[in-house]
Amino acid sequence: MSDVIKDHLPHRFPFLLVDRVVEREVGVRVVAEKLLTYGEPYFQGHFEGRPLLPGVLMLEMLAQAGGFLEAEPLAGKAIFLAQVLDARFKGAAFPGDKLRLEVAPEASFAGLLRVQGTVSCEDRILCTAKLLLKRMG
Amino acid sequence: MNDLKSQVKTMIIERLKLEGMTPDQIDDSAPLFGEGLGLDSIDALEMVLGIEQTFGVKIEDEAAGLKAFKNVDSLTAFIAEHQAA
Repeated sequence: MSDVIKDHLPHRFPFLLVDRVVEREVGVRVVAEKLLTYGEPYFQGHFEGRPLLPGVLMLEMLAQAGGFLEAEPLAGKAIFLAQVLDARFKGAAFPGDKLRLEVAPEASFAGLLRVQGTVSCEDRILCTAKLLLKRMG
Repeated sequence: MNDLKSQVKTMIIERLKLEGMTPDQIDDSAPLFGEGLGLDSIDALEMVLGIEQTFGVKIEDEAAGLKAFKNVDSLTAFIAEHQAA
């Protein structure tokens, strides 16, 4: 986990779900990565003996990656998920998978940012969704 | 202007999925947000997209946009002014 990530996002273990930012063009596009390890706390119970990444966490990963579209660090500030639109889960993710999180903004107005996101693994699309992020302060 | 006003109302209804509502039921001068139609900030973003896609008008100045969102009359005037520009 690089310090660059922690300097930018307010999230911490066990809910910091971005390992690395691979490409970042502020306000235009972000590509980030998350490596799923066997040690992730949610794999203990989802499901016992059959670890599988919960779909909602893919949405959270996209939201966190979306935080890097903002120029200013979000650490110490509050950023919330305001709306989930058109979320589609097309494939499953397992321990050992390296997930690619791609986000691009669609529109912003009055503190709200709508992003289009895709989670993929080795060119397999696992999830697509539009998310509305609200930043306070 | 009346044609545009009714198009604006139709856009609001379609975009915000105000099912069962007809353009006639939206008062031209009643507030769109809070009281009146009761829209919220998430609806505002949806309207920004709707105005761009339906009328080709981009709302870049947030303060001007918020002012235009006061009611149907002000929104119609804003779109007419920026379409002409």
